[in-house]
Amino acid sequence: MKIIVPIKQVPETSNVSMDPETGTMIRDGVESIINPLDLYAIEEAVNLKEEHGGEILVISMGPAKAEMAIREAISMGCDDGILLSNKEFAGSDTLATSYALSQAIKKFNPYDLIICGERATDGDTGQVGPGIAAWLDIPFTTYVSNIKEVNENSMIVQRMVETGYEILEIETPCLLTVIKEINYPRLPSMRGKLLAKKKEIKTWGPDDIGAKKDYLGLEGSPTRVVKISKPKVSRGGEILMPKNESELDKAVDGLIEYLQKKEII
Amino acid sequence: MSDYTYNKVTQEIVDELKEIIDSKYVIYEDTEKLEPYSHDEIAEKSYASMPEVVIKPRTVEEISRVMKLANRERIPVTPRGAGSGLSGGAVPLYGGILLSVERMNEILEIDRENLMAVVEPGVVTNDINEKVKEYGLFFAGYPMSVESCFIGGNVAENAGGGRAVKYGVTGRYILGLEVVTPEGDIINLGGKRVKDVVGYDFIKLMVGSEGTLGIFTKIIIKLLPLPTEKIDLLVLFNDVETAIKMVPMIMTNGRIIPTAVEFMDKLSFHTSYKYLNEHLPHEEAGAMLLIEVDGNSKTQLEEEYETIGALCLENDAIDVFVADNYTTQERVWKVRRNIAEALKVYSPIQTLEDIVVPMANIPKILPELKVIADKYDVLIPCYGHAGDGNLHATVVKKPEMDDKKWEETLDKVLTEMYQKTVELGGTISGEHGVGHKRKKYIGQALEPVTLELMKRVKLAFDPNNILNPGKIFNL
Repeated sequence: MKIIVPIKQVPETSNVSMDPETGTMIRDGVESIINPLDLYAIEEAVNLKEEHGGEILVISMGPAKAEMAIREAISMGCDDGILLSNKEFAGSDTLATSYALSQAIKKFNPYDLIICGERATDGDTGQVGPGIAAWLDIPFTTYVSNIKEVNENSMIVQRMVETGYEILEIETPCLLTVIKEINYPRLPSMRGKLLAKKKEIKTWGPDDIGAKKDYLGLEGSPTRVVKISKPKVSRGGEILMPKNESELDKAVDGLIEYLQKKEII
Repeated sequence: MSDYTYNKVTQEIVDELKEIIDSKYVIYEDTEKLEPYSHDEIAEKSYASMPEVVIKPRTVEEISRVMKLANRERIPVTPRGAGSGLSGGAVPLYGGILLSVERMNEILEIDRENLMAVVEPGVVTNDINEKVKEYGLFFAGYPMSVESCFIGGNVAENAGGGRAVKYGVTGRYILGLEVVTPEGDIINLGGKRVKDVVGYDFIKLMVGSEGTLGIFTKIIIKLLPLPTEKIDLLVLFNDVETAIKMVPMIMTNGRIIPTAVEFMDKLSFHTSYKYLNEHLPHEEAGAMLLIEVDGNSKTQLEEEYETIGALCLENDAIDVFVADNYTTQERVWKVRRNIAEALKVYSPIQTLEDIVVPMANIPKILPELKVIADKYDVLIPCYGHAGDGNLHATVVKKPEMDDKKWEETLDKVLTEMYQKTVELGGTISGEHGVGHKRKKYIGQALEPVTLELMKRVKLAFDPNNILNPGKIFNL
């Protein structure tokens, strides 16, 4: 199987603080890591390779340091990596990003499968995966929790929906976005790290992927950030505090009434 | 029990205490508010004891006056930091006055020219590091309960922790102390000097004295330049022997002193992996090492971990995993940090021990623990700081054993466990202290003459046995 895994390098956000004035993240001294949800895509690709053989290509768009994310993916078991990095790409929204990635992926035709993480933990849109599939005009499905069967020209996957699970058969080549439930991502092994260190990671610009420049960067991005504001959290609540035992029943009745009013019970 | 008898705290004494200390900070006759001061982090109720009055002084003079009052009236005083101890050291065994230093929580000075800081005993140790971080410095002598413990308690217990292999324990970083003696005198020991050989080393005596020789009111600590980078290796082995053999080899053959070398036996990491719902990469693994290196150059650290990893693989490690960013580091440390919690889910009744043996004897002590565990039908999972021989051999009650049987069994298990530990050149506690939890076993660890001398030292400082009586040993 030939599998392509698009990944994103994101800031490590569990220790991050926000600038209260601008509502943006303070990036100073913040580590960059592989988008945690992309790890599940990488792991799934490596599992498929271990079971069915083949090769895995990791592809990422970002600044030069995103090469680290690609090396980390290689140390987990991917074979090769391509970095799309050029000032023409800067400022791309999800439409332009998925365009650029799809142009690069075309270079690797024929491939069997593209696996993406559910979404990136910084942008939180979940649009790039399906976007790539749309640009490539291949079938896709999202929120995949299990790949049940891999056949010659199709695969059977289970995806999580609000009411439970769906089981679908999908023609290959296709694109899947996967969720946490699908596997346990491995840690990079030292053998993998040493391999990844020696690997040459190619950096490509728009010309290498035959991309139309007006489809890239700010020009190719219809999304505009007009304003960033913090949502106001208003938790209207009532505290029913029985002061002694005799008030206990009253408080319980009050709670039941409140929950009924809110249509919770 | 002690031969010393104490008087009860009366209303008159409480009134006098309220003259010394702002009355807001004197708690009396309020069981609900007194209760949190009756125990430390040992879960078993049997180790707890209620104070008669809790006081929260703010100044050294207040403490001095309280000690004079306590001596005059023969009331025991138990000093207390954050209460995060694991030996009952801060528990007021004889009731009396519980003296909490929680309001003495100021970082008084950060002396960048001398790489030192002067702090009050109630400062949360982690806050010191948060504060000095901006100057590129850190306090290296801190234990695992970093989020909550106070520096005063760390000094009193000479706390250790995961990084002792490279940085040693708390005592190494204590250069000076202002102390209120049990009789109420205020003395200054040491100072901002790295070398000092005048007279006996009373700082060393005070560090680890478990609140029995004096109350620290000011602490001068040494700071080190903060390492900016760290890398962790999680190494899997087939068995304990192979794993432990690696530890000295890293230092001798690899010529690297890691920051931490944590060890986990099969029972420990299996329980923790299950608890965390994590996937264990090699089911057959029988032991794990978590090795951390730190420094200021990523390139140098990469060389170091590659050396260590290669050594491990040459010496029969199953696999070596690398964590070089916050996310993966959290993943590997979580396994180690959650062992105690995971074991509690399996069986809440257990005792967390911290025996210490010479590093090279770890493979010898583990089969002995297995023999004891089988003989008494308990579990003794073992994990801890392999780099310094300090092991958290936790004695866990199997859920099916009844409580009465457990009590009888535990004493036998501990006696035999300590016996074997001492035979192998070890001792009964490496970092938690004796407190009152282990005092009945202290005779197994110390020679009679040594113990007698220690008692005389105690009485030289505290002739009325007022300060934290019933800890370490009975007089």
